[in-house]
Parts: sequence; structure tokens; C-alpha cells
Amino acid sequence: MSGMRVVPEESQKFVISVRQLAKLFADQQGRPVRVLDDITFDVYPGETLVVMGGSGCGKSTLLNCLIGELRPEEGGIFYQTRVMPQPINILDAREEQLNEVRKRFGILFQSGALFNSMTVAENIALPLKEHSYVDPSIIDIVVTLKLQQVHMLPHRDKMPAQLSGGQKKRAGLARATALDPEILFYDEPSAGLDPVTSAAIDELIIDLSKKLSVTSVVVTHEMDSAFRIADRMVMLDRGRVLRIGPRGEFERIRDTAPERLADEDERLIHQFLNGKTEGPLTDAAGMSEYEKWIVTG
Amino acid sequence: MSDAAPPSRTGRLTAAVTAFGQMGYNARHRFVRDVRYLGGVGYLVGDTLAWVVRALVFRRVKLGASALASQMVRVGVRSIPIVVLIQVFIGIILALQLAPTLEDYGSLEKVADIIGLAMFRELGPLLSAVVLSGFAGASIAAEIGAMVESEEIKALRAHALNPIRFLVVPRLLATVIMMVGLTVVADVVGVLGGLLTSWLVLDIHPWSYLDNTQVALFYRDFFTGLVKGGVFGVLIAAIACYEGLNVTGGAEGVGRATTSTVVKSIVALIATDCVFTAVFFIFKL
Amino acid sequence: MTQVDNTLNDIRRQGNATIVALSGEVDLHRTPAVHKTLVQACEQHPERLVVNLKDVSYMDSSGLGTLVEVFRRVNGYHGTLALCHLSTRVRSVFEITKLDRFFNIYATEEEALSA
Repeated sequence: MSGMRVVPEESQKFVISVRQLAKLFADQQGRPVRVLDDITFDVYPGETLVVMGGSGCGKSTLLNCLIGELRPEEGGIFYQTRVMPQPINILDAREEQLNEVRKRFGILFQSGALFNSMTVAENIALPLKEHSYVDPSIIDIVVTLKLQQVHMLPHRDKMPAQLSGGQKKRAGLARATALDPEILFYDEPSAGLDPVTSAAIDELIIDLSKKLSVTSVVVTHEMDSAFRIADRMVMLDRGRVLRIGPRGEFERIRDTAPERLADEDERLIHQFLNGKTEGPLTDAAGMSEYEKWIVTG
Repeated sequence: MSDAAPPSRTGRLTAAVTAFGQMGYNARHRFVRDVRYLGGVGYLVGDTLAWVVRALVFRRVKLGASALASQMVRVGVRSIPIVVLIQVFIGIILALQLAPTLEDYGSLEKVADIIGLAMFRELGPLLSAVVLSGFAGASIAAEIGAMVESEEIKALRAHALNPIRFLVVPRLLATVIMMVGLTVVADVVGVLGGLLTSWLVLDIHPWSYLDNTQVALFYRDFFTGLVKGGVFGVLIAAIACYEGLNVTGGAEGVGRATTSTVVKSIVALIATDCVFTAVFFIFKL
Repeated sequence: MTQVDNTLNDIRRQGNATIVALSGEVDLHRTPAVHKTLVQACEQHPERLVVNLKDVSYMDSSGLGTLVEVFRRVNGYHGTLALCHLSTRVRSVFEITKLDRFFNIYATEEEALSA
């Protein structure tokens, strides 16, 4: 597989195209383990794609690969943006090219990842200051606009340490949108938030994606949130894409009784979406290991 | 282990060979790890210098004078009182330690020469660097380590901001500049400590002490000290930043990085000082 | 990366009004130039400053910020800033930030001049 040229189909209009991606990590004995294997999917302009799966399914690794933080061993990740109409594979891009792609996307990190030594306003101004020659007075106005969008204007001059978890995320979202990105990545946007704050963040995500026609990729395992914001969904399981499809398809699987589902995959997804403790997901997990341990010691 | 039957002769031999082999294996392992560490720090320094060159020579990137200024204040200014205090003490100690021996040889006034040389060539830069590694090195490592833990470094990269350029360059430059500055302060203060002791205790007149110092010292003594100081600054900042950037494992990891920064800095400082001194000795500098 | 400046900023005077026609993509790279043009147009303190966005295909937040900054300037000398010919895409940028409530936005240049 490695060395083979993987190129997305010509005609399709995508924003991100992931082709046969594989990421290997070394385990304790130094043997390679495929954390991601043969991941292929596209993200289309303006849509919100939710990536879900249990802990350890590889969704964080996938996100880290998408944002150029990790380097996959095989496959390709292509970006196509307004300023770069020609698809760029970030895996063979130079650092400068990768940075040009990075300027076109924004990321909301799990904890907001605000720069703790700067005020909220300075955090949002930083990308603008560093990447443009826009007048400081205008940067100041842009910061205000961004803060208004996430309802954080009253907290403009606070330090991150003075903010609550939800406020940090909102400020992080304001910073992620500072350069008017075409793509927004969300890493567990509702993790660690109370239901009301979490719903408010979801609303912001929907708002931004609809009004700014931003393409969004959301990594989450909160099902309520996922079904609220998704246009399409991807389910990962043990480093592979189990199913990708429109939200309706997943809603159908969620609401159908397991015995009437087509195959094992669907029953697994059903179990996951409903948060049940019994099903193929938990049956498979560790059972063979356990058996081996009992029998052979 | 103690409950087991006493090992046979051959068993003991095998155990010894195994232990020896294990030792060899461990040593190799450790050697590889150390070489990797040195390589990592070296790479960091190279990368940082490349950014400095790009900013100063080609003027293609913004370097941020305000970041540099705030780092200089944070790195250096707070350590000035400690350095002053320590170097005065060292001046006093040296004067008192040297006096009896020199008096035996009837050349008490040589105390000024020795203190001057020791301060300018050796103790001024070295002790300032040790203080700075405890002060600035530890705090830089802790700060950057905390930034790694809170995903700030990841966020920087995601915003197309290079962490080396953004965090390491100002810290390294600030440490080098402050280290050179502290060396000058240390030199002066150390000599002053020696002078005061000689005056009050050994009854050497300040003017003759200064005169002796002036005669004994050459410019090269001063400049080799400054060069040492600058290089020490690079070492402290590079080790601190490297440790900080490679933090793993939460708050505990940050703590470990801080301790390890101070320990490794001090070892690196003294080892480098040794190399410097040898080189200066060979080339008669 | 070579970039062609596709913001041709055209300034006209008509009576006591100044009309600035912007075009192309008003984004981060271009706003400094756009800002300069608009500030220049403000210098003669026209009673009415009309910014025609007919040929503007894309505007980002820094473009909006520039217009807000100019809006403040014009208000400073008690003039009026009017915008016209907003494409749906540009208009939505104003709506998200709720700036359409503060700006005088008109469909055509004539309306913007006569209102």
C-alpha cells in the first residue's frame, strides 16, 4: 500500500479528502500497531461531519492527523480551499504549505487551549497580528466582532484562569474563527460541560456552520450533541471506518430493535448509539484475551 | 530471593555473566538515550539560531521585540539580587581562604590578582549561570511544560505559529543577553567583595587592591568570561525549553521536567566550562 | 505565492458625496490597501461616503472591521456612511455580526446617494 499514489477522484468537490489513511504506533514491545487502518472518506463544503466511536477507537488520532499534528504512515489527506483551489496533500506538503492550509482551518480544543499568559482579547488578536498587516485598530474591532458572536464580550479583558470551562471553550471558538476559517475542527466540544452549556455550544456550532457556511468536523462521543449538529456521521471502531452516512441512517439504526438490524456492524452501532452495556461491542472486548488467560494462564 | 536454595557454582556464574551483560545492555541503552538527548537539544539550538538569522538577516519573519523585553525582565532582572549576594560572598570567601597561604609566601597583595582572575575567567560566569538555571531555567521548563499539557503548543502550531520561533527564540535570546549582563555584574561585585574583605580584614588599601587587579587582568580575561557566559545562556535556555517541550504525564511530568532541567543544566554547565577552560589553556587565551 | 491585486479601488466625487467602488476579495491580505483608500476618501470629509460593494465577491471579518473603523471616522465628522450593492454572501457576513443594524445599507448606488 505504501508508495502507491492515492489521489481523490477528480470531479468531486470536497474540502477534505482522506484516502486510505493508516497510522502506526509502537506498542510496549516496540511492535507496530495499526491505530488507524484504511480510513477513507470525504468532507464536503458546508457540511457538519461528526466523527464518533468509543475510547481508543482512533478518533483523536484521526483528528491529530487531519490537523497536521501527527504524520500517518500511509495514505493521503487532501485539502481544497478558497485560496487553494488545487488539492494539497498535507502529507507531502512542505512546512510553509502546511501552514497555509492551517491558516484556513480553526480548531476548538477540548479545554479551549487558550494562551494562559494573554487576555481573552489578546488570544483572539494573536493569529491576526501574526498573519497579517492589518491595522491594530481594525484588529481590535475584529476581536470585538468575534467575541460578540460567542457572547463573550463582557469577558474581553479577563485572563483565561478567570474563566469557567464553558467560557474558555467559547473564547477558544472565537480564536478558532479569528482568521475566518473555511474549516472548523471540534475536539469533544461538549466534554466536561453541563447539559445547558453543552447545548449552547452546539447551537453556536450550528450557527457558525449555517451562517458562515463553514465546513465542520466534530469529534465526539456525546450522542445527544452528535445528533443535534450532524449532517453526516462516521462511526470508527478499532481504527477502521465502520459506517459513514447521513444522520438519518444513524437515527434509523439507533431506533431499530437490534434483532431487526441487518448485520453485526449495525448492531454494534446500535449498541453504541444507545449506550447499552450488552451487545457486540462489549462481547468482543477482551473476551478472547480473557479466555486465553483462563485456559493457558 | 532469600528463600530460594543456595545457587550452584555454575548458576552463580551464569547469574554473574547475565548481570554483566545486562549492565552492558543498560549502558548501551543509556548511551543511546543520552546521545538522542544531546541531539535533540542541539537540533533545538540550531533551529532557534536559524529563526534568529531569518529574522535579523533576511527580515522575513516578525520576531517580537516586546516578547524579548518581557522575557529579559522575567529571566534576568529577578536573579540580579541573588547573583550579587552570592558573588559578594564568594569574593569574601576567596579573600579569607587565600590570605593565610599567600601571607606565608609574603605576597598577601596577590590576593587581588587571584580573585580578579578567578572571578572574571571562572566564577563570574559559572556561578551566575548556576543561579540562572535555578531561577530562569526551572521557570521556563515549568511554563513551557504547562503549555504542552494545556494543549497551548498544539494550538500554536494549529494557528500556523511555530513554537520554536514563538516561544524558544525570545527565551533563548533573553537568557543569553541576561547571562552576559549578569556575568559583568558578577565580575564587578565579586571583586568588590574581595576588595572590602581585603580592606577591612587584611588591611590592604582599596586603591592598591584595584591597582593590583588592573595589572593582573587583561582584556582577554574579561572577554573569555563573557563568551562563557553567553554560551552558558544558550545551554540553560535550550535545556529548559527542550525539557519543557517534551513534557508528558500531567502535573507530575512538569515537576519532573523542572527538576531535570536544573540537574542537567548544572552538569552541562560545568562540563562545558571544563571544555572551554581546556581550549583556552591550549590556545593560551 | 504570487498574488494579483484584484481590488481595484475606484474613487469618484459626485456633488457633496464621495463614492468608493471596491472589487474583488476583501480579505486579510487586501484590507490594508482598502483601509488606506477609504481613509483617503474620508480626508476631504465628504457629507456622504458611499461604498459600492457591487464587485466584491468575498469579504471577511477584517473587511468588516475596516468598514467599522471607517464608519467611526465618518461619524466623527458628522458625515454619513452608506453601503450599497451587497451580494447575498457579503450581506450574510453583516447579518451574522448584526452589523446590518448599524450600517445604512441600500440596494443601489442611486438610493444610497439620495436617501
